[in-house]
Amino acid sequence: MSEQQQGQDEQQPMDRPFDGVRVLELAEGISGPYAGRWLAALGADVVKVERTTGDPSRAFGPWPDDLPDDETSGLFLYLNGDKRSVTLNLETSDGREILRELAESTEIVIESFEPGYLASHDLGFAELSAGNDALVMISITPFGQTGPNASLPATELTLYAASGQMWLTGHPERHPLKNGGSQPSYQAGLNAFAAITGAYYGAVMHGQGSYIDLSVQETYAGMAEAFHTRASQLGIESQRSGNNLNALWGVYEVADGYGGICALPRNYPAFARAVGLDELQDERFSDPGQRLLNNDELMAIMYGWFAGQTRQGLLELGIEHRVPFGYVASFEDLSNSEHLQSRDFFATLDHEDAGSLTYPGRLWLSSGHDWRMGRAPRLGEHNMEVIHGELGYEREDLVRLRELDAI
Amino acid sequence: MFDPGRPLSGVRVADLTMIWAGPYGTKILADQGAEVIKIESPRAWDNIRTLLPPPVAPGEHWWNTNFYFHEYSRNKKSLSLDLASDEGKAVFSRLLAHCDVVIENYRTDVMDNLGLTYEWLREQREDIIVVGMAGFGKTGPEQDAVGYGPIIEMMSGMTSTSGYGDDGVPYKSGISYGDPIAGICAAAAVATALIQRQRSGKGQYIDLAQREVMSTLLGEFYMDWSMNRRLPEHMGTGHDWMSPHNVYPCAGDDNWIAICVRTDGEWEALKRAMGAPQWAERVEFSDQILRWEHRAELDEFVAAWTGERAKTDAFAALHAERVPASPVWKMLEVLRDPHLQARGFYEPIRHPEVGIWVAHGWLWRNDGGQPCIVGPAPDFGRHNAEILGGLLGIPQAEQAALEAAGVIASRPEGIPPASEMPATPSLI
Repeated sequence: MSEQQQGQDEQQPMDRPFDGVRVLELAEGISGPYAGRWLAALGADVVKVERTTGDPSRAFGPWPDDLPDDETSGLFLYLNGDKRSVTLNLETSDGREILRELAESTEIVIESFEPGYLASHDLGFAELSAGNDALVMISITPFGQTGPNASLPATELTLYAASGQMWLTGHPERHPLKNGGSQPSYQAGLNAFAAITGAYYGAVMHGQGSYIDLSVQETYAGMAEAFHTRASQLGIESQRSGNNLNALWGVYEVADGYGGICALPRNYPAFARAVGLDELQDERFSDPGQRLLNNDELMAIMYGWFAGQTRQGLLELGIEHRVPFGYVASFEDLSNSEHLQSRDFFATLDHEDAGSLTYPGRLWLSSGHDWRMGRAPRLGEHNMEVIHGELGYEREDLVRLRELDAI
Repeated sequence: MFDPGRPLSGVRVADLTMIWAGPYGTKILADQGAEVIKIESPRAWDNIRTLLPPPVAPGEHWWNTNFYFHEYSRNKKSLSLDLASDEGKAVFSRLLAHCDVVIENYRTDVMDNLGLTYEWLREQREDIIVVGMAGFGKTGPEQDAVGYGPIIEMMSGMTSTSGYGDDGVPYKSGISYGDPIAGICAAAAVATALIQRQRSGKGQYIDLAQREVMSTLLGEFYMDWSMNRRLPEHMGTGHDWMSPHNVYPCAGDDNWIAICVRTDGEWEALKRAMGAPQWAERVEFSDQILRWEHRAELDEFVAAWTGERAKTDAFAALHAERVPASPVWKMLEVLRDPHLQARGFYEPIRHPEVGIWVAHGWLWRNDGGQPCIVGPAPDFGRHNAEILGGLLGIPQAEQAALEAAGVIASRPEGIPPASEMPATPSLI
């Protein structure tokens, strides 16, 4: 897209794809809130219904100066921007009644309770969609709503193992390795976002919503690359490859950290030019088959060459010669990245309790909409606004509900 | 009749994506019912078709049978069309009038070099939705950097978080993780833009940088840097407060099971699953903090228990007591996971030259019971006549002229015979 085109589009006031759409988020942790976070940034009114003690992610760090506080969890703040927080105890009939009333004016419900919990409280899809045919509801659970493992508790580690991906990760002579962070939950949240947007488009077009059963294990197992079809189509098992699938596909130590390459056969000529070593023109490296047969020798050359490179030097060499070089970037590198800053990837937001912080954010840039980036709500911050202001409960009702432990 | 499993039915996508990130995204669009037309030039076909040497006796049309290509091409259509030629571009222009979406994951400059700018695409169809998926985006000082999934993983911070912890070495994922992550997001971007078009009547251009999408899956690490100027430590398979929390060896060769205990209740459940061993009553294992402090010793005891058992037997005992656990499924084993089988996750897929195998079906279910997989990966140019003749009304004689001029083709040009490809035990 040209500068001119961007300029033209920016002249017009931006609307957002989910303006005026109400989302009820009955989801805790990472997956559901991640999906809800982007719906909020795209304009939706996301009402986050929290248990009276709060989304458990409020109890996970990091916190500023490592001081635990329900209002300043970095994980929670990141995942819950722009939402409104209402506390409801669904074990009380008042809490359930308020939820039903909220659902009447809702287009999308995201939930992550144990399978069967909502239905057993008369809050399942059948109940919530009664009179609201266009309702889209998604359940996000470790193993889905059905099957022998449906109610088995899970962690990031067990889900990584169950997906098959863990088998492929780590050094071949050591135990399988987990990748960092909470990838199973996050990627499920991204899949949930895709599922919701697709289903909501169907609802907009046809006036008919749907119920979605999303399993973290399945979404993660679905991305096992060619290793999966290699097993199912050809019956061949795959092994862990550590940091080097082959000499031209992997991570190497460089002078100031770690760098890497991921060159396909068609990238080899440019790669050899960029590296500039005569040996790379040898017969033994002259085609993909020769390179695989002589992989150890090529790798020895690469170890030596990478050791003399710097991270930034590698990236620049890659840009100059159009070779897929990169480096293992730290969050310090990324937070200071001129490139990411030039693309407005970060948002600096003030929060009464957590202070001013820099958040990573937005999924893409669009000529048709911007992203609303606002702070996360405090626990129950919008009880009065939603339950009194929008549902019409009296102020004294709220006091009573609080005494009954319903909110 | 609206099928909730295919909410994107009626949407037509001109799919210029190749390798994996883009095609993973258009797989999701096709599964959801969009008509995805995969467009490849007779001289610049999707490299994945021939990236991996055939490990078994290849068929004559081996560019149609490659297992990597089949991973993401089911439910799509194939049109061969040379977009670098004027004739090809003229056909593409006619096709665009019938398309809602154009999606590409070329290097940043390729679409402009082909003359396929957003302006030009919009001239062919005013409300077109265009998604560009360059690794680093279409603007900024690093826009010309080139990257496949493993590079994206490194450049997003992801790789810096992973490692055994005892050697300081960062580890990449076992797959090209940045690719499918970008693909999933691209599918969401398409649906989002369609929703907005329904409201505004306007299309849009989406600049989706694969590295940025990957970065959003690492939020707490960015926040920790902002809050405390702290970088993550490599945790291996351990955890900063849970124990047990590890992979434990099981009977047989390279067999493992993951076991985690989050609470005292789960610790009691684990003890029951292991048959209430005496060692578990030691005072140093009596609460969560003590167990974490003595985790090395505790891991040895748990490993001694798992080491005597097949991973499926250990899992059965843990499952009965509801302890968070899973065998570390190998690729051939995850295909037979009883839970995934019970849910019908895998569906049979057939191709005349490959035979029958299974692939994952719905990544999520809003399907009402219909199979996800309608057809296998299309042979190269398989839908040329259907699309050019049927959809665009181009007469047969004109199609033949296009074929004679090399603008369309039924087989890619310059592919070596399979017999010349090296046999190799390695994946890539």
